[in-house]
Amino acid sequence: MENFTNETIDTRQLPKFEEVTFTNLHPKYIWVVLINLALFIGILILVPILFSMFKPELFSGRVWLIIGVVIPIFSVLLVAFSIIGFKKKGFAFREHDVLFRFGLIATNTIVIPYNRVQHVALHEGLISRYFGLAKIEIFTAGGSSSDIEIPGIEKEQAENIKQLLMGKIQKQL
Amino acid sequence: MGADFSQPQRQSSIGILVMFFYTLQQYARALWPMIVIWIFKFDEVNKLYFFLGMIAVFVSIGVISYLKYLNFTFFLDSENEEFIITEGVFNKTKTSIQLRKIQQVNINQSFIQKLIGVYELDVDTAGSNKKEGTIKAISHELALELKFRLLENEELKTTIGTETIALEETEQKLFEAAHPFIKISFLSLLKVGITSNYGRSIALLVIFFTTIYENFQNFGDESKVYEEKVGSYIDKNLVLQTILTSIVLLFVVVLVVNVIRTVFKYYDYKITRQKGSLLLSFGLLNTKSTIIKPEKVQITTVKRNYFQKKMGILELKIKQATSGEKEERKSIIEIPGCSEAERDSILRLLFHKIPEKGLMLQPNFRKLIFSVFISIGLPLFGFLGIGYWLEPIIFEYSYMVPVYLVVIGLIQYFRFKNNRLFIHENFIIKQSGAWDISNDIIEPSKIQAITTSQLFWHKKLNIGSITLHTAGGNIAFQLANYSIVKQQVNLWLYEIETSDSNWM
Repeated sequence: MENFTNETIDTRQLPKFEEVTFTNLHPKYIWVVLINLALFIGILILVPILFSMFKPELFSGRVWLIIGVVIPIFSVLLVAFSIIGFKKKGFAFREHDVLFRFGLIATNTIVIPYNRVQHVALHEGLISRYFGLAKIEIFTAGGSSSDIEIPGIEKEQAENIKQLLMGKIQKQL
Repeated sequence: MGADFSQPQRQSSIGILVMFFYTLQQYARALWPMIVIWIFKFDEVNKLYFFLGMIAVFVSIGVISYLKYLNFTFFLDSENEEFIITEGVFNKTKTSIQLRKIQQVNINQSFIQKLIGVYELDVDTAGSNKKEGTIKAISHELALELKFRLLENEELKTTIGTETIALEETEQKLFEAAHPFIKISFLSLLKVGITSNYGRSIALLVIFFTTIYENFQNFGDESKVYEEKVGSYIDKNLVLQTILTSIVLLFVVVLVVNVIRTVFKYYDYKITRQKGSLLLSFGLLNTKSTIIKPEKVQITTVKRNYFQKKMGILELKIKQATSGEKEERKSIIEIPGCSEAERDSILRLLFHKIPEKGLMLQPNFRKLIFSVFISIGLPLFGFLGIGYWLEPIIFEYSYMVPVYLVVIGLIQYFRFKNNRLFIHENFIIKQSGAWDISNDIIEPSKIQAITTSQLFWHKKLNIGSITLHTAGGNIAFQLANYSIVKQQVNLWLYEIETSDSNWM
């Protein structure tokens, strides 16, 4: 009991989560994003082209024109947003919690204290695997909206992070 | 205990068959429209190609399930006390689950698994909706043994738990015997029935009113043909009268239905204390009983509207920690018609003290503008747009516009005015609602994760939003003073990270 103290916390002296420097995702990861997008946009363009070749009577000429205009604009926007989105994503591992920042229009920061982590998963997508990247998924008991997925981390580093996280969770006992 | 789980191992080899059927099922579900077309065009299709195609599909599914089988391994890492599952052919996932986080291990057998004679083992932890780990094909002995090994820790934990409970029990027994807890009277239930569910009643009224009005218009059109002005005047008067009486009648009907529903659902609502948890039982025809464990409670909501305030009653809603979506609805517990004293005693039991409202945060007025834009601006724009370009007929309903403006405007205004976040050392209370005002109460230690969010044009204004994730749902508050929010987040994080408080 002698060691027990209960001093007032000076809230201004607390470590500030908003001043943490975030690590950006691995530069190679942008290729994963772009290849995935290229596949998606490819299908998006190919399907109407095939239809317009074999079944042009499906839509009237005006509708075809609208489709022809909308799809490229949509694709360009999609690519632009994805690139900016990639740049905006960042993560940080502090001593007691993990932070993930994302979002184009709004800057969202999600913080999970290590003693609230339920389990951790390492996911390697097909394309990511080619680039030697992996995704770390951190799950809490707060449902899907409070889980963190950090993509674009080098495989080896991801394994280390996972070990670190598991170690941190362990210590809480 | 012979089986060794310390090395990565595959499922039962017969499991390939299970994988095969599951993959087949998956593909069939995804491709059923094509299959239907094939069946209908069966006669037109070249039989040879058809069967070759079928064989190709089956072979490829077979190969896929074999690969799935090869790539699926699980093992127990006794050193780190983890259960690790590796899966995936092209996309690989490695899931590690801390043994002591495991809540449940279920051994199931679906029809296919029964045919083949294997079992399925699900590992479930708190929180997220899906099962964290599933082994699709495992023999019964192995499953039982794995379950035993997975839950070894759990047993250790619970034995410690029961000891402490036993101690508490003796202390509380005396106290409980002399303490008949809350009973909700029939009168309170009547009051609840009369004062709640207005939203639904009003919606019903609106639907009723519009159908009546349409009928009335049709009727009016017909009457013009064969009757002169006088006749239609009398008709209109009569119809107006019937409409008014029917509205009154409908309102009475809705109230009566509400009352009956409430009484049936909550008749003889009794709350008793047992070992520090609350036992509830209620219901007229089928009595339901549930248990509330204070440590499992995540969000407590106190709800009341103007009439209920005047009558001195309120409604309590308690959300406990869930694992899985199915349980979610079950785990919301409603206690209707409490008095203020009863509320206080329940809250004291849950939190050991009465929640206090501390520092108050208000949303910026931009929140009001935004919600007005969404709920009034956009619909109005849509209405005008449809009227001008598509169906000018809807302008006949223009008289509805001012009514809509006033009603929705008032709702949005009160919703904005009532929206508050109170931050106290031990409690966070979010107040919201236009008519029914609810107060969601959580303790900072129940927070699982925190999301802060700020639109880039709000940076200079220093406003932003916050979402507190708990195991019983989220508490979100928009457009508050961002520097206060950030400061609070830092404080909460500090509190969560320095103590190992039990959130369930």
